[in-house]
Parts: sequence; structure tokens; C-alpha cells
Amino acid sequence: MSAALLTRLQEEYGAVRAALPESVTAAGRRREALETLCAQGLPATREENWRYTNLRVLERARFAPVQDPAGTLPALPEPLEGFARYVFVDGQLRSSAAAPHGVTVRSLRSQGAAGAGWEFAAELPEARLALLNEAFATDAVSIEVPAESAACGIELVFVAAAAAQHGASYPRVRLALQSGARLSVVERHIGAADCASLVNSAVRVELAANAHLTHYRLQHCGARAAWFDTLAAQLGAEAHYELLAVGTGALTARSSVHARLAGAGAQFTLSAAALGEGPQSQDMYALSEHLAARTRTLETFRGIASGRSRVAFNGKIAVRESARGTDSRQSLRGLLDGPEAEIDLRPQLEIYTDEVRCSHGATAGKLDENMLFYLLSRGLAPEVAGHLLKWAFLEDVIARIGLADLRRQIELGLAGQLSEAATLKELL
Amino acid sequence: MLTIKNLHAAVDGKEILKGLDLEVPEGEVHAVMGPNGSGKSTLAHVLAGRPGYSITAGTVLFKGRDLLALSPEERAREGVFLGFQYPVEIPGVNNVYLLKAAVNAARKHRGLPEVDAFEFLTLVREKMRLMRMDESMLSRGVNEGFSGGEKKRNEILQMLVLEPALALLDETDSGLDIDALKVVASGVNTLRAPNRSMVLVTHYQRLLEHIVPDRVHVLVKGRIVRSGDRTLALELERRGYDWLMGEAA
Ligand SMILES: Nc1ncnc2c1ncn2[C@@H]1O[C@H](COP(=O)(O)OP(=O)(O)OP(=O)(O)O)[C@@H](O)[C@H]1O
Ligand SMILES: [Mg+2]
Repeated sequence: MSAALLTRLQEEYGAVRAALPESVTAAGRRREALETLCAQGLPATREENWRYTNLRVLERARFAPVQDPAGTLPALPEPLEGFARYVFVDGQLRSSAAAPHGVTVRSLRSQGAAGAGWEFAAELPEARLALLNEAFATDAVSIEVPAESAACGIELVFVAAAAAQHGASYPRVRLALQSGARLSVVERHIGAADCASLVNSAVRVELAANAHLTHYRLQHCGARAAWFDTLAAQLGAEAHYELLAVGTGALTARSSVHARLAGAGAQFTLSAAALGEGPQSQDMYALSEHLAARTRTLETFRGIASGRSRVAFNGKIAVRESARGTDSRQSLRGLLDGPEAEIDLRPQLEIYTDEVRCSHGATAGKLDENMLFYLLSRGLAPEVAGHLLKWAFLEDVIARIGLADLRRQIELGLAGQLSEAATLKELL
Repeated sequence: MLTIKNLHAAVDGKEILKGLDLEVPEGEVHAVMGPNGSGKSTLAHVLAGRPGYSITAGTVLFKGRDLLALSPEERAREGVFLGFQYPVEIPGVNNVYLLKAAVNAARKHRGLPEVDAFEFLTLVREKMRLMRMDESMLSRGVNEGFSGGEKKRNEILQMLVLEPALALLDETDSGLDIDALKVVASGVNTLRAPNRSMVLVTHYQRLLEHIVPDRVHVLVKGRIVRSGDRTLALELERRGYDWLMGEAA
């Protein structure tokens, strides 16, 4: 990381700091975040954990946030029945809905009192980009669900509308569920097709005892966008955090997820699918940290790389001394389509106690020739057969999307991306 | 329908078919028998166009056309059907979807419009009843978690729906219980027609009691060493293959 880059970062901050809302993050905290970041440096490709991310975009990036988000938006996805939709443009709230009964949804830019903001936990191992977010965020949405609330749905749509030369966007979210509360959140990141925008989001999840959050994260930014993301979740006793992530968009996408299973019996279910084509890179790092007894992680990743794309998933499961009776399962699979595509799957286990059950499997390979021939022998065209098998490959993750409307939207999107052939859509 | 002359085929540099001749006229059902490893599945795969085999000599005519010049999917659309000895499991690809895609691929090839969804389902259900298959299998992945016998029935179901001109059934009877064998045999028999031919690869005379073949061929070491009527199968059942091994040399 060059000194010039850090200097520029500080200069850009200096130029805009007066315009950054205090209610989102206090000025003192912003400065602190920036100082820590500068001391640590931005992530670099030579670091083991960032090898598969295209970080060059950061060297050219304009870090200052978009100040006046665009007036015109790309088409938004169909609304989901029963979900209150909030639309953010370049990080700032544009339109909101009536929050579900009992739930508080606040945009800190407009409704936040001083000091309403939050920080990222210092122990987060991959906090640098979250610190960048903290320094520059222009809005933040805080969603609080009171104890024992019945299940309800919220949809957050983040639209990256500005090109990178007009500034970056910093989506910032906090999801806090009190004990026994239930919530479904659909978080989408989309963007204008031809827009090379820079998005750097930071999401914090807090689940009190027995809370249950189902969190769908769909990244389909425009083909020239760079999308960075940091998510940190803290799980109380018997809490269940179900995270389903589907990444298909952006030129370069990197998501770092850190789940801390701090309460006994907490469960983290991560199901992720990534599709890379052309020059794309899709990179995900997931750390699941078991701190308490009887905690569980169920991790499924399915990635397909075609063209010159790179798809990487680094899943680390750390079982601390205090986490007896931990049960973790990892199933990571990659499908390589083409001689120039690249897949890197890294299952990692770090165990500091006994009495744990951990299983993991990681395989990357090409399309199964027996399956392919079987389909051809039934008259299917090779392209259709290939698309069908890729589709089937992702099903392990897609089938877990319990929300039928959303699953259908995703399936249609994937079918479109996997194949122009109408035949595949018929399958739905 | 099918004329094979002096077919030589190798896999990984090893010659498996060594000058095979076979003629299956239109409307006839022929059985191919032979010891393990003699090349029966290789023949079936070569006819269906499986990649990985090199054809070093010989010709195969299907309805008067050079079959070997066609891609696997073209062969299927032209009416060649291979019932696999080991049907492949394809989790995530729906059975009924594959059936429909297969039917539509063949129809498109013939310049016909896509099949009507309702009529198609009605037809499939009817054939499933014939095969005594549970309808729930339609919505499962292709052969996913099917028992050995269920997979074989599913192959025949596909055949019944696709109505091929030439069916190559590779040990469709293996792994079937006695009742299932009858079900499969009656399924096959319903397809017997003057414009359709079938090649049954089998190890057992029992199947041929239910599906009476017009001819029986013995494949040994990559060649057809003897052909005869159905009594040849009975003779093989009695005598085994040893007496024919010399003729392959
Ligand atoms: N990839 C390969 N490399 C080398 N030998 C092969 C390969 N594939 C098949 N063979 C050999 O080809 C021969 C013929 O195999 P094939 O499957 O056609 O026999 P088969 O007559 O169908 O036997 P069975 O009755 O057991 O089904 C066998 O000896 C087999 O080992
Ligand atoms: Mg065989």
C-alpha cells in the first residue's frame, strides 16, 4: 500500500468531512476510524486473505462519497409481497415504507440523534473496509425488532447509480433483534448496467437469545461495478442466523463475513452461491467463530467460474476453548467452465477444544461428462445441457431460499444469466 | 434400419470392437448376448455417440445414413435411443423437465411446434402407470436416489415417451425383480412396431421369454461370432460361452 494512496485518502476525507452527517457517525469516530485504517493500510493482494480480490480499483478510486445521488434510477426488481421496501441510492435513503408493526426502521441521516451511530467491533479481523465505510458513510439504516416479535419482512434495495469518478457509496446497516424476535430481510445491491461504481457496504447484525434472522443478500451490481462488503454478526444463546448470499454481479466483488457464535446453542447457516463470467471476480471470506457450547455452523458454497473469471471462497471455522459440543459442517463446491476460469476453495478449521464434530469437504471440477452425455443422448443441445447442469449445481443453495417469490426472481435471473435459451426458463 | 460393417473401436488405445458386423432390419427385435467385457456396452455407446471412443475402421448406417457422422444429440433427435446399463443420477435436473426437453428437441428437429404442456403431462402419466411408477418421481431429480430397478424403469419410461426408431437397451433387465421384469417387458412390447427396431443387450434368457427376439447374436471379444433364432439363447443358457470362445480368436 503506497503512502500516496493514504495521503489521498486523508485529503479526500479532509475535503468532505464537514459535509458528513454527525448523526450517522460522529466526526471524532470517523477520524479515529480513518487513522486506524491508515495505520493498518488498505487490503493488498499480497495478503493471503485478499489474493483473489481485484484491489486495483481501490488505487484509482475516489473515496469521497457521492453527495447528490442521481435522480434517475435503473428499474427496481418486483416488490415482494409482505415486505416493506426501503430504497437507498448511492448509500442514502430515497424512499421508505411503513415499517412492520413494532419494528423500528430509522435512517440516521434524517432521523438520527447525535450519537445514534454504531461502530464495528474492534475484534473484527477484517475490519479495514468497514472502517473506510465508517469514515465516509453518508447514511445508515438501523432496524430494531423488539423481543418476541412475530416474523415480518423488510427489503433493503441499495442502488449504485453514480460512476466511481463522482464518488463511492457506503451502504451501512444495523439489524438488531431482541430476544425471541424473528425477521426476514432481503438486501439487494443493484446498479446501472454501464456504471463503474464503487460500493463499500458495512452491515452489523446483533441477535439476542432465541432471535431468528433470515437474511437474503443478493449482489447483482452492474457489470463494471466494484463491490466491497463487510458483515459482522453477533449471535446470542440459541439464536439462529440464516444467511443466504447470491453473488452474480459486479466486475469485482468481495464480501467478508464474520459470525461470532457467542451464546450457547447459537446456529449460523450460511448458504452462498457465486457466478463468475467474463472478467469477473467473486470473492467471499467467511469466518465463523464458535465461542460457546453447542454452537453450530452449516456452510454451503457453490460457485461457477466461466470465461476468465475467478471465484473464491475462503471459509474458516474457529472453535475456541469455550465451545465444547460444537458441530460444524462445510460443503464447498466449485464448477470450472473453461480453461481460463479459476476457482479457489479454502475450507479452514481451527480447533482449540475437544468434543467437537466438524466435517468439511471442498471439491472443484468440471462438468460431469457422464451427466453431460446422458443429456445429449436424450437430444438436448450441448449448450442447453451445460446450462442445465450448472443450474442443477447451484440448486443446493437456491433450493434453500424459503421465500417462493424471491426464489423465483433469483431463478429467473440465474436462468437468464446462464442461458439466453428460453428452454431453461421453462424449467421454472 | 441399422447396418454395421467391420466396426473397429478403441478406447484409451485399447481396441474393444474388432470387426463387428450386425444387421437389424426394420421392425425387428434383436438380442445381443455375450460374456462380461466382450464389448456390448461399448457397442451401445459407440452407436449413441459417446465421446472418448475412436472408430478406427468400419461403417454404421442408420436408415441409410452414416450414423457415425452425427453428433450424439442429432442421433437422439433422429430416433436413436440408448437405455443405459448404468443410468446417471443428475440431482437438481427435474425428471419431467428432461423428458419434456427431450421431446421438444426431437420435435423441433422435425419442424414441429413444442408439445402442449397439458397433453404432454397426460401422456407421461399414462406411460408411468404402464411402468407402475409413482408420479412423485416426476418432480424428483433425474434418477436421483432411485433404486436400481427404478432407474431402469425410468429409462423405459423415457423410451415410451420418446418413441424412438431404434432402441438400444443395455441390460435393462439387470437388477429388476420378477414383477418389474414383466412390467419392463410389457413396456418394451408395446413399442414393437413395423417401423421400429430394437437391440436388447442381456445376460439372461428370462427376458427373452417376455420379449421374444427375431434374432439372437453372440458378441465375444469385440465381434459377433454367432447369430441364430431365439433357440440360440436357450443353447447359451445351457452351454455358456466357452464353446464359442475359440471362434473369436
Ligand atoms: N476407458 C477404458 N480403458 C480401457 N479399457 C476399457 C475402457 N472402457 C472399457 N474398457 C474395456 O472394454 C471392455 C468392454 O467393456 P464393455 O463395457 O463394452 O463390456 P460389456 O460387454 O458391456 O460387459 P458387461 O457384460 O460386464 O456389461 C472391457 O474389458 C472394459 O474393461
Ligand atoms: Mg455392459
